[in-house]
Amino acid sequence: MWKYEKKLQYPVNIKRTDPAAAKVIITQFGGPDGELGASLRYLSQRYTAPDARVKAILNDIGTEELGHMEMICTIVYQLTRNLTPAEIKESGFDTYFVDHTTGLYPIAASGTPFSAEIFQSTGDAIADLSEDMAADGTTL
Amino acid sequence: MNERERLLKRVQMYSFAIVDAALFLDTHPNDASGLAYYKKYKNLYKEAVEEFESKYGPLTILSDRNDTCWQWVNDPWPWEEQTEEVR
Repeated sequence: MWKYEKKLQYPVNIKRTDPAAAKVIITQFGGPDGELGASLRYLSQRYTAPDARVKAILNDIGTEELGHMEMICTIVYQLTRNLTPAEIKESGFDTYFVDHTTGLYPIAASGTPFSAEIFQSTGDAIADLSEDMAADGTTL
Repeated sequence: MNERERLLKRVQMYSFAIVDAALFLDTHPNDASGLAYYKKYKNLYKEAVEEFESKYGPLTILSDRNDTCWQWVNDPWPWEEQTEEVR
């Protein structure tokens, strides 16, 4: 079970819109090393973790990644507020906008939608840990 | 930064410290200095949350304190903290 806290982990207050930047940054939401994949990776792997400490840290990191996802989505949302048709077209954001307008959709910068194929959950602690280090080495 | 943002920033700062302390304690559950750090920031967090919520409404659905209206629904939501129109 999760409880929601009505705040970001760190404040996001973007003054100037930049749809071209949004199109790149969104990869940290739905791309192969994005926060959505990170959350699902840890929260899926925790069930078969062999040690209480490993269960705890997979649980808590997976939860924190959801908070990271919320910050990334906030950045994309704020970068794409109040766009004019000309800004949408000239920035190259038009290829996203045509399908999603300014809705948040988990996608890589290259345009590939989010897929669970980007992570593994093997039931083997060593294999999972190796995968975690490859995906998110700075966290573990 | 207005008063609401200032008080929320304090909550965020202490919350960040607690999350990091918890991750450390997950793998070092008997570490005395880690436990002391956690306790210190947990107390500061509680005070900061109390001050924020008494002025600006609940941060969780457990802390809505108004009897006549459900404050939880009120704007701003976290992704829309910035209220001015920006270009």
